[in-house]
Amino acid sequence: MSRRNRGNAGTTYVNNVRGPTSALTSFLNERGIRRANPAPAPVATPPENEDDSDDDDDEEPASPQNQAASSSSSSSTPAPVTSSSRPTRTARLTRGRTLPSPSTSASRSNELDGVNDDSDSDDSDDDESDSDNKNLVPIAVSASMARAVRATRSRAVAVASSSSSSNASASTARAKAATAAASKKRPRKKDASDDSDDEDFHDITGHITRSNFSHKGRMPQGSNKIVFCSRCRARFTIKAGTTPAVDEDDGGLLCPTCAGTGSPGPSKSALPKAKPVKRARRKAQKAEIECHIPTLQDLCIQKIANSIEDVEAFGDISDISLDKICKIICRNRSLNAETLQLFLDARHSELILYDCTDITAIGLQNIAQFCPNLRSLKLKLCGRITNEVMDYYTEHLTKLASLTLIGPILILEQTYIKLFETVGERFEKFELKGSSRFSLKAIKALCDNCPNITHLRLGDCNLMDDEWLEPIAGLTKLKSLRIRNPEPDKLTTSAVVKLVQAVGSGLEELELKGCTGLTDEVLVDAIRPSCVRVERLNLSGCEELTTEGVETLFKDWSINSGLTYVNLENCVMLKDEALMAVTEHSGATLEGLNMSGMDEITKDALQTLTRCINLAELDASWCRAMDDDIMEQLVEAAPRLTKVTVWGDHRLTECCSSRKGLRIVGREGDYVDLRFL
Amino acid sequence: MSSLAPAESEYVTLESSDGFQFVIHREVAMLSGTVKNMLSSPGHFTESTEGVIQFRDIKAIILEKVCKYWYYKARHLNSVTEIPHFEIEPEYALETLMAADFLDTSQYANIY
Repeated sequence: MSRRNRGNAGTTYVNNVRGPTSALTSFLNERGIRRANPAPAPVATPPENEDDSDDDDDEEPASPQNQAASSSSSSSTPAPVTSSSRPTRTARLTRGRTLPSPSTSASRSNELDGVNDDSDSDDSDDDESDSDNKNLVPIAVSASMARAVRATRSRAVAVASSSSSSNASASTARAKAATAAASKKRPRKKDASDDSDDEDFHDITGHITRSNFSHKGRMPQGSNKIVFCSRCRARFTIKAGTTPAVDEDDGGLLCPTCAGTGSPGPSKSALPKAKPVKRARRKAQKAEIECHIPTLQDLCIQKIANSIEDVEAFGDISDISLDKICKIICRNRSLNAETLQLFLDARHSELILYDCTDITAIGLQNIAQFCPNLRSLKLKLCGRITNEVMDYYTEHLTKLASLTLIGPILILEQTYIKLFETVGERFEKFELKGSSRFSLKAIKALCDNCPNITHLRLGDCNLMDDEWLEPIAGLTKLKSLRIRNPEPDKLTTSAVVKLVQAVGSGLEELELKGCTGLTDEVLVDAIRPSCVRVERLNLSGCEELTTEGVETLFKDWSINSGLTYVNLENCVMLKDEALMAVTEHSGATLEGLNMSGMDEITKDALQTLTRCINLAELDASWCRAMDDDIMEQLVEAAPRLTKVTVWGDHRLTECCSSRKGLRIVGREGDYVDLRFL
Repeated sequence: MSSLAPAESEYVTLESSDGFQFVIHREVAMLSGTVKNMLSSPGHFTESTEGVIQFRDIKAIILEKVCKYWYYKARHLNSVTEIPHFEIEPEYALETLMAADFLDTSQYANIY
């Protein structure tokens, strides 16, 4: 038989229809993997495989029975397999075989590296062609092989037959493949009509590796497997040691929901409908995007803006509602000079505007004109505020005690100084985010003129450096200090240590977010001895903090009675002991915990979270050991839990336990329709 | 989305804070992201099994307006002819805005 060198774009014959060959198909072809031999896999017959022709002869009698594309038990042929699938391209694609089988619908070729197949494999993709061959045999592949193939994505495939050295590895590979296939058989639906390649859902948990990190450390033996429910296609976890419910109709596994209801349901029709449903859904989404029907929110806001003159028409609005409406309007980017009128009233003492992008300077000035009694003003995204407007505020807002400015790029240093000098002792809270003009002089003016400051929050101030921290240390009444995102390397640990030591004793909240250069000294030398009263601690982004540092801080930290909020986001070096130290110290008081990004945490540490009985919000994103078990324990242990964020925690399935009022944000299955992966 | 609720009814019931019940078509109600999530959450919540949702902070008048809007939207979703205006009384505009925001979170996540 002639040999055919298979290039990258080989051709496939399926029912005598020409088409390009996929990588998978080429791989299988070159191995000679074919579907369906009824004989069970003989595990160790390597010595026979020296010669191809022997293989052929051995194969012949067994194969003819099972040519048609239909389910069959697993089997393997006595041929070596390089399971490592290391690609070495050889030109030795052996001759194709002619089988005396009546089947016409399959193709096969080459070398006989038979491997176990599985019942539900697909027809179309795994076929391959050899133009010399008239008979086509569908080729099926086991789950593990498919996985390996997809992982490597290589077209050139090692042809193992010749090398006897690989025989030994091949036999073990075959044995492994046999057990893998056998275990994979059970969860899979034996649906011959299913032509999708993707039924082959593999347990992705064990196969993602990182360069310096071993998954094995996080997943102990006998850990839970995640499989698909054969009826509703939701993912769920099989706990190690338990057996899940089995669907009588097709032998597939059932998730707890389907097992519970037990109704025979439209299980058979569910799957074939899947593709048309998907198309219909896509169509509907597209239609929704393209339609020109205004949203209800837009309609309402338009109405409000039009009738703004008739304020009485709106009736009495409570402050909370007003704030909610402001949020909605800002979210719709509709806050402008007209809609702003809704919020300006002489009786208001507090005003928060979440998005002042569309409000001109005049509009901002109107705020002070219409609300002269403001005690607290918060302007977010207020890039348009000018120095004149700021001066106007300084003069006319005579009761102002709290000012928050986010993004005031135009305001100059002198304006700030004038503000501080005028406001003086009534100033209690000052927050500034995103100003590259706020300078050392300004901060000095603040600290000199406003000794009663209790809340100071400075974020994204480009000029911030160690010198700023000295005058801040002079604020004796400081209760809340937030320093966010200074320029890298501008704040040194020693300066921060001195600051915290100076003001720490009064602090109820300390935030050093994004101060990337800080080391453990801050924890051990500054926070531990001084911050006796602190309840909220935010050290997110401080990547240099180590497990030992955090442990030293929290272990036997008796002078501090317990934190209510701890944020260690992106402190990537922290390991189990750090989390355990936190939960041991503050477990009873903790209401909010953010450990996003601590991906070296294992299940043991996560289980200590059950100690946090008052926990209301938890962010455990990217802690990949998080799974259904832990979620269940948490839900039981923390009755006040309202929000759990789990971005990137792939082991959490859709069927994990939840309860009314608990929001789980970031589960993979909620955003990606895993059926169609 | 689990399609396994025993005999999914064509209608769902929305109950307002003052006890009024509005029975509307299920597909129409699914136009709202919130309602869709409530009705199809995996689990045995009464919403998904019985198709009844209670809104404790939305008054009947407002809920009626929202239902009317959903029908208006469903009716004109794929139409190419001119779409008539949907009128909202100014006295209800604010509350309708808040209700619409709560019910339509498919579009915007909670940013603020």
